Amino acid sequence: MLVAGLAFVSPCFLAVLNSVKTLPEIIQSPTALPERLAVENYQYVFTGVQLAGPMVNSFLMSAAVIGCLVTIAPMAAWSLMRRRMAAGRGLRLLFLAGLTIPFQIIMVPLLQEFRLLGIQFTYLALLAHHVSWGLPLCIFIYSGFMASIPKELEEAAAIDGCGPIAIYWRIVFPLLAPCTITIVIFWGLWIWNDFMQAFIIMGSAKGQLVFVQLWRFLSDQYVKNWNYIFAGVVVLSVPVTVLYVAMQRRFVKGLTAGSFK
Amino acid sequence: MTSVPEAGLQPEHRRAKRVAAVREGLASLVLCGPAVLVYVGFIVLPAILGFAYSLTDWTGWTRWPNYVGLANFRELFHDTRFLAAIRFTLFETMLLVLFFTVGAMILAVLLDRLRRLKGLIRALFFYPYILSILVSALLFQYLANYREGALNTMLRALGLGAAAQDWMGDPALVPYFIFALVAWSGLGFFSTLYLAGLQTVPNELYEAAAIDGAGPLSVFVRIQFPMLIPVITTASVLALITGVNLFSQIVVTTQGGPGYRTFTVGYYIYWLGVLNNRQGYASAVSFVTFAALVGVAALQVALLRRKAVQL
Repeated sequence: MLVAGLAFVSPCFLAVLNSVKTLPEIIQSPTALPERLAVENYQYVFTGVQLAGPMVNSFLMSAAVIGCLVTIAPMAAWSLMRRRMAAGRGLRLLFLAGLTIPFQIIMVPLLQEFRLLGIQFTYLALLAHHVSWGLPLCIFIYSGFMASIPKELEEAAAIDGCGPIAIYWRIVFPLLAPCTITIVIFWGLWIWNDFMQAFIIMGSAKGQLVFVQLWRFLSDQYVKNWNYIFAGVVVLSVPVTVLYVAMQRRFVKGLTAGSFK
Repeated sequence: MTSVPEAGLQPEHRRAKRVAAVREGLASLVLCGPAVLVYVGFIVLPAILGFAYSLTDWTGWTRWPNYVGLANFRELFHDTRFLAAIRFTLFETMLLVLFFTVGAMILAVLLDRLRRLKGLIRALFFYPYILSILVSALLFQYLANYREGALNTMLRALGLGAAAQDWMGDPALVPYFIFALVAWSGLGFFSTLYLAGLQTVPNELYEAAAIDGAGPLSVFVRIQFPMLIPVITTASVLALITGVNLFSQIVVTTQGGPGYRTFTVGYYIYWLGVLNNRQGYASAVSFVTFAALVGVAALQVALLRRKAVQL
């Protein structure tokens, strides 16, 4: 099974190996070891492909999306799950339905909407999309987690005269921390890795997030410079790999807790 | 307690109640408002607008769309490219559902049986799932490239140059290329679902089976498989949705080619609406697709709700 597992991820090993070879070496034999380490490939990732700026942008975008999501999603989830609200049931169903909508359905009108709002091809548009798109799943995950938190604390606080917002902020939100961490990890990973949404919403010309930048580099070139491509791929995959290795248990738990889409 | 005449207390009581109700309402607004606003603004509204667009011939250039009634929907039924896209999407979906339910289940059962290095091996199979779609697409493009790809280079090195194929350019092979890419990325996720399901099998069952002298195969058939049936339902629905929505992988690899061979329905919508400025018609296509998906979605919602109850 170990052999099978290693064979399964062998394309990744090939990428790492070939990222330190020159292009002729790669084409001659994909599996041979290089004569010397071609470190200049990695330099080129920053000088030629210019990934440094986009890396900062992607990081900031991830942080912004996560910040918005972990602020507004748990509030809504708590209110929908635990408080008696007019239209609460309808809203719950509305958010649940959001889990099933494929992106292609809203893609075209969404672009028009951004154009009408005058924020076409901007980071703001991408942020708005990522947050709205992530909301149903976040609310779903938070609601699921909330079922495991006892209600008594909230009830005691209410009897002591605490208003709903104070109850949420002082008691519920801190209790949701494990769930918040899961969401930070997953959305951090997804927003960093995202190519498609950034490509469609920001366009390839202005989009300055990591994978759009890599794509631009790819489409600017007539010949595929596999050495640079692999170096870029490795550089961009290091953060997620580190995150994954460090947080492996949480990953599996988070997935099986019902976070799927 | 001094006795207060009832008539004097009641209006005050009522006012207090009203104040409390207003406060509760305000709290709901603060707590739910942002979420509802963003969600309705950027998900629900575009979905509704999409339906409105589908009744127009809008190209995005004119200021206001032109109402054309159901013309777009009539065109749809004679659109051979659309029908081909449906056929291709269904073919990929069928392969993926089969692989992600049966293949992932077998893998999970084997992984569950491991004694040593369980965590490491599991992590290896899961790893592709965390890679960006562009990364996995590039890795597969490198493997499959005709002239300089790893697969063909190795075949030629082994003297099997005749077996070298244009994996991405040959219309007969490219569906399997797309399938392999999606399957590789998703296998870890689906087997994780099954592994979680296997954790719920009570140990007593295994012990009883061991006492009865059951082999690994009959343990699987008699114990694990029946216990996994709920997971199979979930996994097959999720695989179905993955297949029907197949889209990004096409954009980053074949872009629908060779010719129009790998147009999925999702890619066709993108091609029409984003690349070719036929917003009206693209909306009609997505609306019809959505209508077709409602059955699947209803099934998923039912499943999710059942899950939500369990949680």
